[in-house]
Amino acid sequence: MLSFRCQLVFVAVILTWWSHTPSTFADVNFTKEIAPIIFENCATCHRPGEAAPFPLLTYADVQERGDLIADVVKQRLMPPWKAEPADYPFLYERRLSKDQIELITNWVDQGMPEGNAADLPALPEFASGWTLGEPDLVVSMKQPYRVPADGPDIYRNFTIPLDLTEEHFIAAIAFRPSARSVVHHSLFFFDATGRGRELEAEDDEPGFKGGMGAMMKLRGSPVPPQAFDDPETAPKRSPLGKRATPGAPAFGALGGWALGAQPHLLPNGLAYRVPAGSDLILATHFHPSGKAEEETSTVGIYFAKKPSNRRFMPIQLPPAFGAFKGIDIPPGEKEYVIEDTFVLPVDVEAFGVGAHAHYLGKSMTLTATLPDGTRRTILSIPDWDFAWQEQYRFAEFAKLPKGTRLHSRITYDNSKDNPRNPSDPPARVHFGEESTDEMGSISLMTLAADESELPLLQSAYRTHFRSALLKSPLSKLFQGRLEAE
Amino acid sequence: MSSQFDQKDSHRPPRMGRAMLTLMLCVTLYSSALQAAPPENTVELVDLEGQTHTPLRNAKAKATILFFLLPDCPISNAYAPEIKRIAAQYAEQEIASFIVYVSPDLSVEDAKKHATDYGYEIPVLRDLSFELVRETEVTIAPEVAVVSAEGKCLYRGRIDNLYAALGKRRFKATQHDLRNALDAILQGVPVPQETTKAIGCYIPKPKTDARLLTR
Repeated sequence: MLSFRCQLVFVAVILTWWSHTPSTFADVNFTKEIAPIIFENCATCHRPGEAAPFPLLTYADVQERGDLIADVVKQRLMPPWKAEPADYPFLYERRLSKDQIELITNWVDQGMPEGNAADLPALPEFASGWTLGEPDLVVSMKQPYRVPADGPDIYRNFTIPLDLTEEHFIAAIAFRPSARSVVHHSLFFFDATGRGRELEAEDDEPGFKGGMGAMMKLRGSPVPPQAFDDPETAPKRSPLGKRATPGAPAFGALGGWALGAQPHLLPNGLAYRVPAGSDLILATHFHPSGKAEEETSTVGIYFAKKPSNRRFMPIQLPPAFGAFKGIDIPPGEKEYVIEDTFVLPVDVEAFGVGAHAHYLGKSMTLTATLPDGTRRTILSIPDWDFAWQEQYRFAEFAKLPKGTRLHSRITYDNSKDNPRNPSDPPARVHFGEESTDEMGSISLMTLAADESELPLLQSAYRTHFRSALLKSPLSKLFQGRLEAE
Repeated sequence: MSSQFDQKDSHRPPRMGRAMLTLMLCVTLYSSALQAAPPENTVELVDLEGQTHTPLRNAKAKATILFFLLPDCPISNAYAPEIKRIAAQYAEQEIASFIVYVSPDLSVEDAKKHATDYGYEIPVLRDLSFELVRETEVTIAPEVAVVSAEGKCLYRGRIDNLYAALGKRRFKATQHDLRNALDAILQGVPVPQETTKAIGCYIPKPKTDARLLTR
């Protein structure tokens, strides 16, 4: 039997434990601690007229959803932001800190007290309408696209003529869906080849089908993309009959919009160079909401005040969305890997990064090994989700010196344990453009630090592209043609 | 990552202060003692057309499906087409269906608008004081309860496995738990799995609780 003193100590220890364990953030109140986090990070979308399903603007709103909020912030499902913090911080990062998450979960644990009304911060002033001001050009889809009530997600591309009679420089694109509950994201492209218009005629519905596969068709893959000034593949004429700008690509990316994202001007006076006669292509991802909807997207375009003399060089690793990698994923395979490496021949400044894979995609990493051996992470998405194809932009240029070794690594899970696996039971999967096929690459948006060295970068990447093609199982088909070149 | 959601056990650990936990425990023990006798469960609710129903004592059907929904929960809304298909298909086999909105302050007008938007033609109830929620012990929207004409709960849980977890939607559902349960009931064999874990939005707690907890 314990002595009385012993019992006393025991009780004291228990009481100390009792009173201390749950109190990392004791007495959390809505008005003081929680409202600022919610207003800053959630209310941009969770307010009337925006895409998110319910408003989070008052104590009652947040209290009603408290348990759900605690779950989704703990699992980092919300706010939606798939990239882990890496060595080059991202701009407009929508990611809660560990402390913020702990505050929220503790507040919910404590029964969600409201606190002192006087502590409640004012709601931020949400910009309504065009957040960047009146656009220079506003265009809309020609016809509404009907999204059915249910069924699998839909990838559809819409060609919108811009009627530009001369070359323009685009600094930002603002995207406004009309049926917010079904539009998940949209990627923007310019197309001066006229092929997008041709593809529109494929079926009777507005737009044409396909995700990145359709973009590859436009780009003319698997031959090297026109983005690399290849005179053989550059178009001779734009659809308006004007001669395309010599050396300018006739097809290219213009960024994109995803749920929760706000439009922003490109940094440092940069602008996308868009040739005369370009069409705008919206590559839009729809997810049926349970109710049939009609979408007519409107787009506001902001032109740069002055032309940008710096040209973008997307470095896609592996090239052509992995078309040459011989992707062949056996059913049941939990960790199928594709990798690619490219050494920078000149100093480079990167301003953004994006990744692409389909439903089997599991993780994405892009690392840089600098010439002095330092290893830096550029992008790390440990739990890839096809639904969140964010275009990440760096807070400052990621400066990568000549000799930096870029390495991309993409993994796939073709097992039953991957709930997104489109096949049940899992089936063998090859490269292809259907969402039941796979592809994969990480694209770094770069500039040559010294514009005059751009041709060196372009030529090195073109060589990399060709060698990837030659190593591919497809190479036999192309061998003759490449040797002839 | 989502271990909490993968657990079969649907009882989430309570997330309250310890004092509150103790209090709740007492209340729970007390109320379960009260409920030791078979529940009366003759909950009476008026649908949007003004018709009175006792969905837990529905002698007109072999069994009754209650679809618990929240009008502003996207997962709940995404199920509308499948809910309509199930209701129509099983109505032919004398199984009745009700939509039960569990939003505590949903007006008749808003409920009617939502039901029209999503094309629900089965009777729509508003469980404003959570009587059906309490009796069937559902916690999530969308979640279903299938009750016999005598008021016995035969199945409670998800409609199917379209969602593996929050944010993890399958290409298409591969296990149709509600349909399997209904088929078993119609064949007079035991329901293969009487309870499953629903994925969706939590059914809100009654407002009075919140006021009680506000410091």
